[in-house]
Amino acid sequence: MSEYKVVGYSLPQIDARERALGLAEFVSDIKLSGMLHGRILRSPYPHARILHIDTSKAKALIGVKAVVTAEDTPKIRFGPRTDDWAILAMDKVRFVGDEVAAVAALDEETAEEALGLIRVDYEELPAVFDPLEAMKPEAPLIHDKERNIVSEFKLAKGDVDQAFKESDIVHSASYYTSQVYQAYLEPMACVTDIDLTGKLTFYLATQIPSMTRLTYAKALNLPLEKIRVVVPYYGGAFGGKMETNLHLAAAVLSQKTGRPIRMVNPREEDFIAGNPRVPMYIDLKMGAKKDGTLTAKEVSVIGAAGGRAVYSMVIVATACYRVDSLYHFQNLKTEGVTAYTNTVPTGCFRGFGNAQMTFAIESSMDMIAEAIGMDPAELRIKNGLKTGEVSIHGWKIGSSGLTECIRKATEASGWREKRAQKRSARGIGLACCNHVSGNRAFAREFDGGAGIVRVGREGKVLVYHGESDMGQGQRTIFAQIVAEELGVPVDRVEVARVDTDISPFGLGSFATRGTVFGGNGVKAAAADARRQIFELAAEMLEANPVDLEAKEGKIFVKGAPEKNLPFQKVAENGLYKRGGAPIVGTGFWVPDTVLPDPVTKYGNISPAYPFACQIAEVEVDTETGEVKMLSYVAAHDVGRAINPQTTEGQIQGGVAQGIGWALMENMVTERGRVINPNFRDYVIPGPLDLPPIKPILVEPIDPNGPFGAKGIGEPALNPVPAAVANAIYNAIGVRITELPISPEKILKGLKAKK
Amino acid sequence: MKYSLVLTVNEENVEFQINPNRTLLEVIRNDLGLTGTKEGCGTGECGACTVLLDGEPVNACLTLALQAHGKRVTTIEGLSKGGTVHPLQEAFITYGAIQCGFCTPGMILSAKALLDRKPKPKEMEIREALIGNLCRCTGYQKIVEAITSYVKDH
Repeated sequence: MSEYKVVGYSLPQIDARERALGLAEFVSDIKLSGMLHGRILRSPYPHARILHIDTSKAKALIGVKAVVTAEDTPKIRFGPRTDDWAILAMDKVRFVGDEVAAVAALDEETAEEALGLIRVDYEELPAVFDPLEAMKPEAPLIHDKERNIVSEFKLAKGDVDQAFKESDIVHSASYYTSQVYQAYLEPMACVTDIDLTGKLTFYLATQIPSMTRLTYAKALNLPLEKIRVVVPYYGGAFGGKMETNLHLAAAVLSQKTGRPIRMVNPREEDFIAGNPRVPMYIDLKMGAKKDGTLTAKEVSVIGAAGGRAVYSMVIVATACYRVDSLYHFQNLKTEGVTAYTNTVPTGCFRGFGNAQMTFAIESSMDMIAEAIGMDPAELRIKNGLKTGEVSIHGWKIGSSGLTECIRKATEASGWREKRAQKRSARGIGLACCNHVSGNRAFAREFDGGAGIVRVGREGKVLVYHGESDMGQGQRTIFAQIVAEELGVPVDRVEVARVDTDISPFGLGSFATRGTVFGGNGVKAAAADARRQIFELAAEMLEANPVDLEAKEGKIFVKGAPEKNLPFQKVAENGLYKRGGAPIVGTGFWVPDTVLPDPVTKYGNISPAYPFACQIAEVEVDTETGEVKMLSYVAAHDVGRAINPQTTEGQIQGGVAQGIGWALMENMVTERGRVINPNFRDYVIPGPLDLPPIKPILVEPIDPNGPFGAKGIGEPALNPVPAAVANAIYNAIGVRITELPISPEKILKGLKAKK
Repeated sequence: MKYSLVLTVNEENVEFQINPNRTLLEVIRNDLGLTGTKEGCGTGECGACTVLLDGEPVNACLTLALQAHGKRVTTIEGLSKGGTVHPLQEAFITYGAIQCGFCTPGMILSAKALLDRKPKPKEMEIREALIGNLCRCTGYQKIVEAITSYVKDH
């Protein structure tokens, strides 16, 4: 039972009805008058110079309204972090799938036919596909740089060499985390439109509506006010829907034709030109005392950026040092390198580097526990950061439910009993994680959340925010928060779709920041609206505003509920009193986080840190190497669950996605070309591949989160591959350190044991 | 050369002159403007385009429109005709079985096809019936729970 009226309840999503009825308008459903269909011509080569492009035949095809190349763009180099993007290739193509030209036609079939009529003369160049090779000075250069290095990360604290000398055990291992595809059900899609002043409206599936404007304004050489982003319903993202050339190519076609352009990636193109997870080579050396105290950690990370940098260098940096705030560490040495490769540009995917490193560290922790004869659960509890502590990088742990997560997960899974038994080919494994709820370092300018809450004459509440609901239920969370704050039932609250012409600037939905930042932003706006409502009600009730309370749609004097006014009556009265103006509350929330020191990385970067402990149970078929998931328990410190059912759904989805990464998914490439760009050959979990997933919500009530809430999105996935790998080791004594954990690797491991 | 296509969609008779290479998915979404049926892959692997053809679940992206000639098609919009939400849809809503919602129309229709055939399926039978419908958001669990609870209540 929640102490609140709306927050803390498993209410159905406020827009579930539209989605269930098929009435929710997704980006790929939008139809505008005069709309044309766009397609992109993509490079068939991983690395080539463009000698000549002949678009004449394509332009002449009946039904084709425009064919554009780089010549039709401002030819500006831009990017979310670096300046190595071009809307359409200017001099070279740098990966199979790179955007070379775009067409707009009356229908999809004509657009596709037109692509085949564009003639491009390429001069193939030597290409490099693995970051280890690409880093070398003699590798073919992909961009105008001396080396194929996007960026490097270096960090050192204390004295690792001395600490290793003083350790009772030093453990080293090398890991590889694979490049996997977000596989959201709706492919990347957009509709662009243009008005007579040249103002572009982008209907986008985007996690970052406001930030996208900044990048696109630069790319198109337009003032920011000429770019409007609207976010309709869209079918999932998991990190993969940030800035993309698909949108910009459509915009250029709108500029050329003066008409709306619909551009949707065919699924195969989404595979080859999306933004899959940054693959990483991780070398991890850890020291510990025989009582389990961790002493030192030395790690090197090498990640592939692909043909251009999306967010890969930030992801590698995150991999380098986020786990430093999971356990107590005093001695650290970390090096990270992000290298260009002639492969599809890699980007954000749930976990953002922390997922990759969590696989490594939680596998190593498992092996350290075994070496010192300690229960892996106890090893985590001993070293895990607790409430009130400050990590080595100055992260202030306002609340930590890690220990409770471990205790509850081990209890619910039968951990102790199952570890004590010797069960043939059955095993149980544990892994923990930490994460952030938003990251001050992501945008230099600021971090924060804002909201606008409008109360109309009917007492209906409309909430404006600047973040993004990709299906995770953010709009519902915002509605619950605002409803609680205003004391109205949640069905009186609507959440407007994001329109950058009206909505507040929001950094967006990534870094698991939505609930805390967006939530606190709309909460502040609702509080402002409530202040105005109370002023009006106080006059009507002849009372003092400070003595008023709002609950279940009524405003009343505390302690005298019989003297009350319906919320709607106050809103209506307010409108009449104020010349017709609705009540509009605005508010914002800025946490006291800091940009980390550029050298030491010291600084509290997030207002709230979620933790988790997950336990996987598997059965291995020792003849085929196949792994069957038997059960899964996921205990998550979420601060407070604003909506327990929504939170559980996120956990189950994250675990499913993690199991896919651990066991089933693999982007297979041949000379940089993805050779399995479809759901038949790139297998994501189906309903028969998953065990029952039991989510456990741990609620320490965070001091900074809205009503004590922290985030859930990425922590849901982070521990999964390690939990599965640890369970497999427990089952058959085979340690796999490279994802995916395929049947071949298991059989190889079993053979080596004999 | 265009061919005559006559069929019933959500219990309404409709008629078109169409090219033979048009898919049922294209006709549903573009010609009928029923965008509840989604395109997730275009190659019959994800199930987002699932519709019922004479009660049987099919991938509309792999069904030529002319293959539906003379037949009854049910799309997701057909479940809530006249504005009443189908109890199966209510179950999905109530039990948190919907996140982004892109797989949802296909998922619900596959579930309906199963329940029309077998009103009291066991959990494994439910999971097997949904094998042609991919979901990336939910991990399927609340979808199965929603269907299970619907079975219990009806």
